Amino acid sequence: MSTLLDIRNLGVTFDTDEGPLKAVDNVSFSIQQGEVVGLVGESGCGKSVTALGLLRLIPMPPGRFTSGEVFFEGRDLLRLPTDELRTIRGRRISVIFQEPMSALSPLHRVGAQLMETLQLHLPLDKRTAWNTSVDWLNRVGLPDPEAQMRAYPYQLSGGMLQRVMIAMALMLEPALIIADEPTTALDVTIQAQILDLLRTLKSQDASLLLITHDLGVVWELCDRIVVMYASRMVEEGPRRELFENPAHPYTRALLDSVLSLTGRADRLSTIEGQVPSPLAYPAGCRFAPRCPHAFARCHQEQPPLYSIADKRHSACFLSAPKKPDLLNPCPSEPLNP
Amino acid sequence: MPPLLQIHALKTWFPITRGIFSRTVGHVRAVDGVSLDIAPGETVGLVGESGCGKTTLGRTVLGLEPRKSGEILLGGIPLWPTRHHETLPLRRRVQMIFQDPYSSLNPRMTIQEIVTEGLLEQRLIRPRERADAAARLLREVGMEPSVLHRYPHEFSGGQRQRISIARAIAVRPELVICDEAVSALDVSVRAQVLNLLIDLRASHNLAYLFISHDLGVIRHIADRVVVMYLGVVVETGPASEVLDSPAHPYSRALISAVPVPFGESRKRTILKGDVPSSSHPPPGCRFHTRCPLALPECAVRVPVLEPITPGSARHVACIRKNEISDKSHDAKALLQGVFQ
Repeated sequence: MSTLLDIRNLGVTFDTDEGPLKAVDNVSFSIQQGEVVGLVGESGCGKSVTALGLLRLIPMPPGRFTSGEVFFEGRDLLRLPTDELRTIRGRRISVIFQEPMSALSPLHRVGAQLMETLQLHLPLDKRTAWNTSVDWLNRVGLPDPEAQMRAYPYQLSGGMLQRVMIAMALMLEPALIIADEPTTALDVTIQAQILDLLRTLKSQDASLLLITHDLGVVWELCDRIVVMYASRMVEEGPRRELFENPAHPYTRALLDSVLSLTGRADRLSTIEGQVPSPLAYPAGCRFAPRCPHAFARCHQEQPPLYSIADKRHSACFLSAPKKPDLLNPCPSEPLNP
Repeated sequence: MPPLLQIHALKTWFPITRGIFSRTVGHVRAVDGVSLDIAPGETVGLVGESGCGKTTLGRTVLGLEPRKSGEILLGGIPLWPTRHHETLPLRRRVQMIFQDPYSSLNPRMTIQEIVTEGLLEQRLIRPRERADAAARLLREVGMEPSVLHRYPHEFSGGQRQRISIARAIAVRPELVICDEAVSALDVSVRAQVLNLLIDLRASHNLAYLFISHDLGVIRHIADRVVVMYLGVVVETGPASEVLDSPAHPYSRALISAVPVPFGESRKRTILKGDVPSSSHPPPGCRFHTRCPLALPECAVRVPVLEPITPGSARHVACIRKNEISDKSHDAKALLQGVFQ
């Protein structure tokens, strides 16, 4: 398996009236070919900005990159000329947005939007583009695709529109699909249909970056998980290891807050306090003010991302290697040497 | 114990109008014949997908939507009589917590004004007692009284939802309708607010009508569950029984569709297609168009919500409920092909 996407030290800041807002701070992770990676965190943690940032889909200004490189098939997306980037967007990397209703144009028929995507990237005549679009709508399980091609987005339900979005994202057979909360706006029975569809991607050897706050969805689909908190990465690891043996106290707390469908505790375990404002992050570990294990050092320095096992990283001083080097007790090994 | 709230054959329809004279051309049957009781201190979880009528039902109980027919009784008294002055004492007894903590608090009112408005309106306190009453309420929901003179925009979603809760419990209601009260909150804050609602239920002997699409939340807070589909109740019963072993094919599909972390993938029914429009609900059983167990008869006969076995607290509206609940080999074989 080869590395498809490699994000290194990505930093995105928005200049606001109240000062610079660090939305993404030093995020590094990679996606292998055919791998499904879940980017998990609560609202405002920077997961969507990370995903949109790597395709340069963030309005600049007010946004700007403060650091980082994003290597995709050997090229740095952040420094690519716009016309070259356009050949990658949609063709090699496509995005499924959360709100299909606002991602599609309300003034154009579904078919026209699908065909435009095809014809923009491939030398197809109208007839072939039409047939290919119908074929893909069929594949994503939309009933009566010929009729849906002639419909306007408002005539379709949310679940049907999300299928159109997925067809549009898959049509050009991209190497990477970024799905930003693809099922959050949908009902559970429709979500089950869409998850089933996304699962078939795995067999097509496409990589998927799935952004979600729903740990159940992550468990069902992902191979590897990246957890973010307050603009930074706190933990990374393969699904099963991370769920069964979380290293970072935040990951642990997040998993504890999942409500079981089968049992019932007397009291739910909670994370005290609130997420800090991105305009006023604490100096040390950003989770320290809410962390039950925090000690003095946590409030003073930011913990680096320690490597704790094969493919596993945790940004917590408690995850530091057991035998610290006395001269240099803290940073064990940088994530990307 | 006599029920606190009794809903009998309630219908709430919204007219669909056309043309310059707003001619009524049809109705959205949001709630189409729902009967439901809530005992004092009981929490009833109302679940279903968007458009099933659960929010409309809650709003109708509160008098925020006009009902077409049916009865709503609170402690035996009909709710929402036509004369306006009679509604004031009833409003004290039923309160609501809304989903969106951003739009449900008036941005121009201070926290003190928000939480004591009901008390003043009901003449339960004098204006000069406002600050004390507000401080007491804020402490009850776990907030510092020092925030009394601040405005809603200064608070996070979780804090705002605590303010909404303080406002709802201020007038000592007996029933609180929680419409997706924790759905807009992040998981770490959601647990805090749920714990608060559970504590207040015990200390104030509150009954909740807890409307949510999140079955994990319902499992945690509800004593009894009511499952709605397209304006009608398809199944009701004790929360543990309905969620652990749902009987109605729709409840089964709904519960199996929830992705749950840990453990192996469960048996899952993936329903075909979308929920039909509630302006033209299918004849017979409303679920028959998507039901994996539907028989030709289902398209004709309207199933009645009946006890699954005589005297049982579980009620199911399905003509095949006996086959489904039967533990015999035949029933297993029936379900085998459907629930993979």
